[in-house]
Amino acid sequence: MNKLIVAAACVAVVTGAQADGPNYALDPTHTFVSFEVTHFGTSTNRARFDKKEGTVQFDRAARSGRVEITIDMASINSGVAPFDGHLRSKDILNVSEFPTAKFVGDKFSFSGDMVTAVAGTLTMMGKTHPVTLKANRFNCYLNPIFKREVCGGDFETVIQRSQWGVNYGLPAIAPDNVRLVVQVEAVKQ
Amino acid sequence: MRQHRGMRLPALLLALAATTASAQPAAYVLDPAHSFVHFEVLHFGTSTSSGRFGPIAGVVTLDRGAGRGAVSLRIPTAGVDTGLPVFNARLREADLLDSAEFPDAYFVATQFRFEGESLAEVRGEFTLRGVSQPLSLFARRFACRSDEGTEVCGGDFEGELLRSDFGVDYLLPFVANRVRLTVQVEGRRRQPDPS
Repeated sequence: MNKLIVAAACVAVVTGAQADGPNYALDPTHTFVSFEVTHFGTSTNRARFDKKEGTVQFDRAARSGRVEITIDMASINSGVAPFDGHLRSKDILNVSEFPTAKFVGDKFSFSGDMVTAVAGTLTMMGKTHPVTLKANRFNCYLNPIFKREVCGGDFETVIQRSQWGVNYGLPAIAPDNVRLVVQVEAVKQ
Repeated sequence: MRQHRGMRLPALLLALAATTASAQPAAYVLDPAHSFVHFEVLHFGTSTSSGRFGPIAGVVTLDRGAGRGAVSLRIPTAGVDTGLPVFNARLREADLLDSAEFPDAYFVATQFRFEGESLAEVRGEFTLRGVSQPLSLFARRFACRSDEGTEVCGGDFEGELLRSDFGVDYLLPFVANRVRLTVQVEGRRRQPDPS
Protein backbone atom coordinates (compact mmCIF):
# COMPACT_ATOMS: atom_id res chain seq x y z
CA MET A 1 0.00 0.00 0.00
CA ASN A 2 2.86 2.42 0.77
CA LYS A 3 4.19 2.23 -2.78
CA LEU A 4 0.73 3.07 -4.01
CA ILE A 5 0.52 6.13 -1.84
CA VAL A 6 3.95 7.36 -2.88
CA ALA A 7 3.11 6.86 -6.55
CA ALA A 8 -0.16 8.73 -6.19
CA ALA A 9 1.47 11.52 -4.21
CA CYS A 10 4.22 11.95 -6.84
CA VAL A 11 1.65 12.27 -9.58
CA ALA A 12 -0.25 14.73 -7.45
CA VAL A 13 2.79 16.94 -6.89
CA VAL A 14 4.30 16.79 -10.38
CA THR A 15 1.20 17.54 -12.43
CA GLY A 16 -0.39 20.22 -10.36
CA ALA A 17 2.06 23.11 -10.17
CA GLN A 18 1.18 25.62 -12.87
CA ALA A 19 -1.16 28.55 -12.25
CA ASP A 20 -4.35 28.63 -14.33
CA GLY A 21 -3.70 24.99 -15.07
CA PRO A 22 -5.15 21.95 -13.45
CA ASN A 23 -5.73 22.51 -9.76
CA TYR A 24 -6.53 18.89 -8.96
CA ALA A 25 -4.43 15.90 -9.99
CA LEU A 26 -6.06 12.61 -10.94
CA ASP A 27 -5.24 9.85 -8.49
CA PRO A 28 -4.45 6.99 -10.90
CA THR A 29 -5.01 4.42 -8.16
CA HIS A 30 -8.64 5.47 -7.80
CA THR A 31 -9.44 6.48 -11.37
CA PHE A 32 -10.63 3.81 -13.79
CA VAL A 33 -12.86 3.56 -16.82
CA SER A 34 -14.70 0.27 -17.34
CA PHE A 35 -17.41 -0.82 -19.70
CA GLU A 36 -20.21 -3.35 -19.52
CA VAL A 37 -22.02 -4.92 -22.46
CA THR A 38 -24.31 -7.91 -22.52
CA HIS A 39 -23.24 -11.09 -24.30
CA PHE A 40 -25.94 -12.87 -26.36
CA GLY A 41 -28.51 -11.44 -23.94
CA THR A 42 -27.24 -13.88 -21.33
CA SER A 43 -24.58 -12.30 -19.10
CA THR A 44 -22.63 -9.06 -18.88
CA ASN A 45 -19.05 -8.81 -20.09
CA ARG A 46 -16.93 -6.28 -18.24
CA ALA A 47 -13.56 -4.84 -19.12
CA ARG A 48 -11.41 -2.08 -17.71
CA PHE A 49 -8.84 0.24 -19.24
CA ASP A 50 -5.85 0.01 -16.91
CA LYS A 51 -3.83 2.99 -18.21
CA LYS A 52 -5.11 6.53 -18.34
CA GLU A 53 -3.96 10.05 -17.58
CA GLY A 54 -5.66 13.36 -17.29
CA THR A 55 -6.11 16.78 -15.76
CA VAL A 56 -8.81 18.31 -13.62
CA GLN A 57 -9.74 21.92 -12.96
CA PHE A 58 -12.42 22.20 -10.36
CA ASP A 59 -13.88 25.18 -8.51
CA ARG A 60 -16.52 24.01 -6.11
CA ALA A 61 -17.46 27.54 -5.01
CA ALA A 62 -17.85 28.80 -8.59
CA ARG A 63 -19.56 25.53 -9.57
CA SER A 64 -17.36 25.02 -12.58
CA GLY A 65 -14.87 22.49 -13.78
CA ARG A 66 -13.06 20.91 -16.66
CA VAL A 67 -11.75 17.38 -16.85
CA GLU A 68 -9.73 15.69 -19.57
CA ILE A 69 -9.03 11.98 -19.43
CA THR A 70 -6.99 10.19 -22.08
CA ILE A 71 -7.40 6.42 -22.16
CA ASP A 72 -4.75 4.05 -23.47
CA MET A 73 -6.99 1.76 -25.51
CA ALA A 74 -4.37 -1.03 -25.67
CA SER A 75 -4.53 -1.34 -21.89
CA ILE A 76 -7.95 -2.97 -22.09
CA ASN A 77 -8.26 -5.80 -19.58
CA SER A 78 -11.21 -8.21 -19.51
CA GLY A 79 -9.41 -11.08 -17.81
CA VAL A 80 -9.57 -13.09 -21.05
CA ALA A 81 -6.44 -12.59 -23.15
CA PRO A 82 -7.93 -13.73 -26.49
CA PHE A 83 -10.92 -11.42 -25.93
CA ASP A 84 -8.56 -8.51 -25.17
CA GLY A 85 -6.71 -9.28 -28.40
CA HIS A 86 -9.95 -9.30 -30.37
CA LEU A 87 -11.07 -6.05 -28.74
CA ARG A 88 -7.79 -4.39 -29.81
CA SER A 89 -8.07 -5.66 -33.40
CA LYS A 90 -9.39 -3.82 -36.45
CA ASP A 91 -12.67 -5.74 -35.97
CA ILE A 92 -13.55 -3.74 -32.88
CA LEU A 93 -11.43 -0.90 -31.39
CA ASN A 94 -8.67 -0.79 -34.01
CA VAL A 95 -6.09 0.16 -31.40
CA SER A 96 -3.12 0.25 -33.80
CA GLU A 97 -4.74 3.08 -35.74
CA PHE A 98 -6.52 4.75 -32.81
CA PRO A 99 -4.35 4.16 -29.72
CA THR A 100 -6.16 6.57 -27.40
CA ALA A 101 -9.65 7.77 -26.60
CA LYS A 102 -10.31 11.07 -24.87
CA PHE A 103 -13.12 12.44 -22.74
CA VAL A 104 -13.30 16.21 -22.30
CA GLY A 105 -15.93 17.32 -19.81
CA ASP A 106 -16.47 21.05 -19.41
CA LYS A 107 -20.11 21.40 -18.35
CA PHE A 108 -20.43 20.51 -14.67
CA SER A 109 -23.92 20.31 -13.17
CA PHE A 110 -24.32 20.79 -9.43
CA SER A 111 -26.90 20.24 -6.75
CA GLY A 112 -25.77 22.46 -3.90
CA ASP A 113 -22.01 21.96 -3.93
CA MET A 114 -22.23 18.37 -5.16
CA VAL A 115 -21.47 17.48 -8.78
CA THR A 116 -24.43 15.67 -10.34
CA ALA A 117 -23.25 15.35 -13.96
CA VAL A 118 -20.37 16.20 -16.26
CA ALA A 119 -21.18 16.80 -19.92
CA GLY A 120 -18.66 16.94 -22.72
CA THR A 121 -17.37 14.91 -25.63
CA LEU A 122 -15.88 11.49 -26.13
CA THR A 123 -13.44 11.04 -29.00
CA MET A 124 -12.83 7.45 -29.99
CA MET A 125 -11.70 5.91 -33.28
CA GLY A 126 -11.49 9.36 -34.81
CA LYS A 127 -15.09 10.32 -34.07
CA THR A 128 -16.30 12.85 -31.49
CA HIS A 129 -19.77 12.78 -29.98
CA PRO A 130 -21.38 14.38 -26.93
CA VAL A 131 -21.51 12.32 -23.75
CA THR A 132 -22.92 13.17 -20.31
CA LEU A 133 -21.55 11.31 -17.32
CA LYS A 134 -24.11 11.13 -14.52
CA ALA A 135 -22.78 11.13 -10.97
CA ASN A 136 -24.10 8.22 -8.94
CA ARG A 137 -22.01 9.48 -6.06
CA PHE A 138 -19.83 12.53 -5.43
CA ASN A 139 -17.90 13.64 -2.37
CA CYS A 140 -14.89 15.63 -1.19
CA TYR A 141 -12.87 14.64 1.87
CA LEU A 142 -9.62 15.48 3.61
CA ASN A 143 -7.30 12.60 2.79
CA PRO A 144 -5.28 11.81 5.95
CA ILE A 145 -2.26 10.59 3.95
CA PHE A 146 -2.02 13.36 1.35
CA LYS A 147 -3.19 15.94 3.95
CA ARG A 148 -5.11 17.47 1.09
CA GLU A 149 -8.66 17.62 -0.14
CA VAL A 150 -9.65 14.82 -2.48
CA CYS A 151 -12.80 15.06 -4.59
CA GLY A 152 -14.28 12.26 -6.63
CA GLY A 153 -17.11 9.90 -7.24
CA ASP A 154 -18.73 7.26 -9.37
CA PHE A 155 -20.04 8.27 -12.79
CA GLU A 156 -21.79 6.37 -15.53
CA THR A 157 -23.36 6.75 -18.94
CA VAL A 158 -24.71 4.57 -21.70
CA ILE A 159 -23.33 5.12 -25.18
CA GLN A 160 -24.35 3.68 -28.54
CA ARG A 161 -21.11 2.19 -29.75
CA SER A 162 -22.17 2.35 -33.41
CA GLN A 163 -21.86 6.16 -33.21
CA TRP A 164 -18.10 5.65 -32.97
CA GLY A 165 -18.09 2.95 -35.64
CA VAL A 166 -17.76 0.04 -33.22
CA ASN A 167 -20.21 -2.21 -35.04
CA TYR A 168 -18.81 -5.70 -34.46
CA GLY A 169 -21.39 -8.30 -33.48
CA LEU A 170 -24.39 -5.97 -33.70
CA PRO A 171 -26.96 -6.82 -32.55
CA ALA A 172 -26.87 -10.55 -31.76
CA ILE A 173 -23.55 -11.00 -29.99
CA ALA A 174 -23.59 -7.67 -28.19
CA PRO A 175 -26.08 -4.79 -28.37
CA ASP A 176 -25.39 -1.20 -29.36
CA ASN A 177 -25.81 0.07 -25.80
CA VAL A 178 -22.61 -0.04 -23.75
CA ARG A 179 -22.53 1.14 -20.14
CA LEU A 180 -19.45 3.12 -19.18
CA VAL A 181 -18.56 3.13 -15.49
CA VAL A 182 -16.04 5.70 -14.27
CA GLN A 183 -14.39 5.82 -10.86
CA VAL A 184 -12.50 9.06 -10.29
CA GLU A 185 -10.65 10.73 -7.45
CA ALA A 186 -8.49 13.84 -7.75
CA VAL A 187 -6.16 15.45 -5.23
CA LYS A 188 -6.21 19.21 -4.66
CA GLN A 189 -2.89 20.91 -5.44
CA MET B 1 -18.60 -18.72 12.31
CA ARG B 2 -17.22 -22.00 11.04
CA GLN B 3 -13.61 -22.40 10.11
CA HIS B 4 -12.23 -25.15 7.99
CA ARG B 5 -9.20 -25.74 5.86
CA GLY B 6 -9.47 -26.82 2.25
CA MET B 7 -9.37 -30.54 3.06
CA ARG B 8 -13.03 -30.65 4.05
CA LEU B 9 -14.39 -29.08 0.95
CA PRO B 10 -13.91 -31.94 -1.55
CA ALA B 11 -15.95 -34.16 0.78
CA LEU B 12 -18.65 -31.51 0.86
CA LEU B 13 -18.70 -31.30 -2.92
CA LEU B 14 -18.96 -35.08 -3.24
CA ALA B 15 -21.86 -35.12 -0.81
CA LEU B 16 -23.49 -32.36 -2.80
CA ALA B 17 -23.13 -34.29 -6.05
CA ALA B 18 -24.57 -37.41 -4.46
CA THR B 19 -27.64 -35.69 -3.05
CA THR B 20 -28.55 -34.00 -6.32
CA ALA B 21 -28.07 -37.03 -8.58
CA SER B 22 -31.57 -38.37 -8.03
CA ALA B 23 -33.28 -35.36 -9.66
CA GLN B 24 -32.27 -35.62 -13.36
CA PRO B 25 -30.68 -32.25 -13.52
CA ALA B 26 -28.69 -31.00 -16.45
CA ALA B 27 -25.08 -30.19 -15.66
CA TYR B 28 -23.41 -27.05 -17.00
CA VAL B 29 -19.67 -26.50 -16.95
CA LEU B 30 -18.68 -22.87 -16.47
CA ASP B 31 -17.26 -21.17 -19.57
CA PRO B 32 -13.94 -19.61 -18.49
CA ALA B 33 -14.38 -16.75 -20.96
CA HIS B 34 -17.62 -15.62 -19.29
CA SER B 35 -17.35 -16.54 -15.62
CA PHE B 36 -15.94 -13.92 -13.26
CA VAL B 37 -16.54 -12.49 -9.82
CA HIS B 38 -16.21 -8.71 -9.51
CA PHE B 39 -16.11 -6.95 -6.17
CA GLU B 40 -16.80 -3.33 -5.32
CA VAL B 41 -16.00 -1.46 -2.13
CA LEU B 42 -16.47 2.18 -1.26
CA HIS B 43 -13.28 4.19 -0.71
CA PHE B 44 -13.50 7.03 1.86
CA GLY B 45 -17.22 7.33 1.15
CA THR B 46 -16.28 8.87 -2.19
CA SER B 47 -15.65 6.47 -5.08
CA THR B 48 -16.01 2.75 -5.67
CA SER B 49 -12.87 0.67 -6.01
CA SER B 50 -13.32 -2.62 -7.80
CA GLY B 51 -11.48 -5.75 -8.75
CA ARG B 52 -11.99 -9.06 -10.41
CA PHE B 53 -11.42 -12.72 -9.63
CA GLY B 54 -11.45 -15.39 -12.27
CA PRO B 55 -12.03 -17.07 -14.51
CA ILE B 56 -13.88 -19.07 -11.85
CA ALA B 57 -14.19 -22.81 -12.25
CA GLY B 58 -17.11 -25.01 -11.43
CA VAL B 59 -20.24 -26.91 -12.33
CA VAL B 60 -23.86 -25.89 -12.01
CA THR B 61 -26.69 -28.40 -12.11
CA LEU B 62 -30.15 -27.12 -12.96
CA ASP B 63 -33.49 -28.89 -12.94
CA ARG B 64 -35.64 -26.05 -14.14
CA GLY B 65 -38.76 -28.22 -14.27
CA ALA B 66 -38.45 -29.21 -10.63
CA GLY B 67 -37.14 -25.79 -9.57
CA ARG B 68 -33.93 -27.20 -8.14
CA GLY B 69 -30.25 -26.74 -8.65
CA ALA B 70 -26.80 -26.96 -7.15
CA VAL B 71 -23.58 -25.09 -7.71
CA SER B 72 -20.00 -25.43 -6.62
CA LEU B 73 -17.54 -22.74 -7.66
CA ARG B 74 -13.83 -22.46 -7.00
CA ILE B 75 -12.35 -18.97 -7.08
CA PRO B 76 -8.54 -18.71 -7.17
CA THR B 77 -7.67 -15.70 -5.03
CA ALA B 78 -4.08 -15.10 -6.18
CA GLY B 79 -5.37 -13.95 -9.56
CA VAL B 80 -7.12 -10.91 -8.09
CA ASP B 81 -6.91 -8.07 -10.61
CA THR B 82 -7.65 -4.45 -9.73
CA GLY B 83 -5.63 -2.92 -12.56
CA LEU B 84 -2.89 -1.98 -10.07
CA PRO B 85 -0.09 -4.55 -9.61
CA VAL B 86 0.97 -3.15 -6.22
CA PHE B 87 -2.62 -3.26 -5.01
CA ASN B 88 -3.02 -6.84 -6.27
CA ALA B 89 0.11 -7.87 -4.35
CA ARG B 90 -1.12 -6.13 -1.20
CA LEU B 91 -4.49 -7.91 -1.47
CA ARG B 92 -2.76 -11.31 -1.57
CA GLU B 93 -1.03 -10.72 1.78
CA ALA B 94 -1.88 -12.58 4.97
CA ASP B 95 -4.16 -9.96 6.56
CA LEU B 96 -6.29 -9.63 3.41
CA LEU B 97 -6.89 -12.58 1.05
CA ASP B 98 -4.03 -14.67 2.46
CA SER B 99 -3.62 -16.38 -0.90
CA ALA B 100 -0.58 -18.39 0.20
CA GLU B 101 -2.49 -20.12 3.00
CA PHE B 102 -5.89 -20.16 1.26
CA PRO B 103 -5.37 -20.21 -2.52
CA ASP B 104 -9.07 -20.65 -3.28
CA ALA B 105 -12.38 -19.21 -2.19
CA TYR B 106 -15.52 -21.29 -2.72
CA PHE B 107 -19.21 -20.78 -3.26
CA VAL B 108 -21.33 -23.87 -2.68
CA ALA B 109 -25.11 -23.65 -2.87
CA THR B 110 -28.12 -25.95 -3.09
CA GLN B 111 -30.95 -23.52 -2.31
CA PHE B 112 -32.19 -22.31 -5.69
CA ARG B 113 -35.29 -20.17 -6.00
CA PHE B 114 -36.95 -19.99 -9.41
CA GLU B 115 -39.63 -17.69 -10.69
CA GLY B 116 -41.21 -19.78 -13.40
CA GLU B 117 -38.28 -21.34 -15.23
CA SER B 118 -36.04 -18.37 -14.53
CA LEU B 119 -33.53 -18.54 -11.73
CA ALA B 120 -34.09 -15.74 -9.19
CA GLU B 121 -31.85 -16.47 -6.20
CA VAL B 122 -29.13 -18.86 -5.12
CA ARG B 123 -28.46 -19.26 -1.41
CA GLY B 124 -25.43 -21.05 -0.16
CA GLU B 125 -22.14 -20.72 1.64
CA PHE B 126 -19.14 -18.62 0.70
CA THR B 127 -15.74 -19.62 2.01
CA LEU B 128 -12.90 -17.09 2.06
CA ARG B 129 -9.67 -17.39 4.03
CA GLY B 130 -11.04 -20.66 5.42
CA VAL B 131 -14.06 -18.88 6.92
CA SER B 132 -17.51 -19.95 5.74
CA GLN B 133 -20.55 -17.68 5.89
CA PRO B 134 -24.01 -17.78 4.30
CA LEU B 135 -24.34 -15.82 1.08
CA SER B 136 -27.29 -15.11 -1.21
CA LEU B 137 -26.78 -14.21 -4.84
CA PHE B 138 -29.71 -12.59 -6.62
CA ALA B 139 -30.15 -12.99 -10.37
CA ARG B 140 -30.30 -9.66 -12.18
CA ARG B 141 -30.42 -11.47 -15.49
CA PHE B 142 -30.79 -15.14 -16.41
CA ALA B 143 -31.20 -16.76 -19.81
CA CYS B 144 -30.50 -19.93 -21.74
CA ARG B 145 -29.70 -20.13 -25.43
CA SER B 146 -28.50 -22.62 -28.00
CA ASP B 147 -24.93 -22.27 -29.17
CA GLU B 148 -24.62 -24.46 -32.28
CA GLY B 149 -26.71 -27.16 -30.64
CA THR B 150 -25.24 -26.93 -27.15
CA GLU B 151 -27.41 -25.30 -24.51
CA VAL B 152 -25.74 -22.41 -22.70
CA CYS B 153 -27.30 -20.95 -19.56
CA GLY B 154 -26.01 -18.00 -17.63
CA GLY B 155 -26.63 -14.63 -16.15
CA ASP B 156 -25.60 -11.84 -13.84
CA PHE B 157 -25.88 -12.31 -10.09
CA GLU B 158 -25.15 -10.00 -7.22
CA GLY B 159 -24.81 -10.18 -3.48
CA GLU B 160 -23.23 -8.42 -0.54
CA LEU B 161 -20.99 -9.47 2.30
CA LEU B 162 -19.28 -7.83 5.24
CA ARG B 163 -15.56 -8.39 4.90
CA SER B 164 -15.10 -8.29 8.68
CA ASP B 165 -17.17 -11.50 8.82
CA PHE B 166 -14.22 -13.13 7.07
CA GLY B 167 -11.59 -11.49 9.27
CA VAL B 168 -10.61 -8.80 6.73
CA ASP B 169 -10.51 -5.66 8.88
CA TYR B 170 -7.72 -3.67 7.19
CA LEU B 171 -8.47 0.08 6.77
CA LEU B 172 -11.92 -0.16 8.33
CA PRO B 173 -13.86 2.12 8.22
CA PHE B 174 -12.08 4.26 5.59
CA VAL B 175 -12.54 1.44 3.13
CA ALA B 176 -16.07 0.20 3.73
CA ASN B 177 -16.96 -3.07 5.38
CA ARG B 178 -19.73 -3.80 2.88
CA VAL B 179 -18.47 -5.48 -0.30
CA ARG B 180 -20.75 -5.84 -3.31
CA LEU B 181 -20.20 -8.90 -5.47
CA THR B 182 -21.31 -9.08 -9.08
CA VAL B 183 -20.97 -12.48 -10.68
CA GLN B 184 -21.02 -13.19 -14.40
CA VAL B 185 -21.54 -16.85 -15.26
CA GLU B 186 -22.22 -18.80 -18.40
CA GLY B 187 -22.24 -22.60 -18.40
CA ARG B 188 -22.28 -25.03 -21.31
CA ARG B 189 -24.44 -28.11 -20.92
CA ARG B 190 -22.37 -31.21 -20.42
CA GLN B 191 -23.27 -33.99 -22.81
CA PRO B 192 -24.32 -37.22 -21.11
CA ASP B 193 -21.78 -40.06 -21.16
CA PRO B 194 -22.31 -42.22 -24.26
CA SER B 195 -22.62 -45.34 -22.06
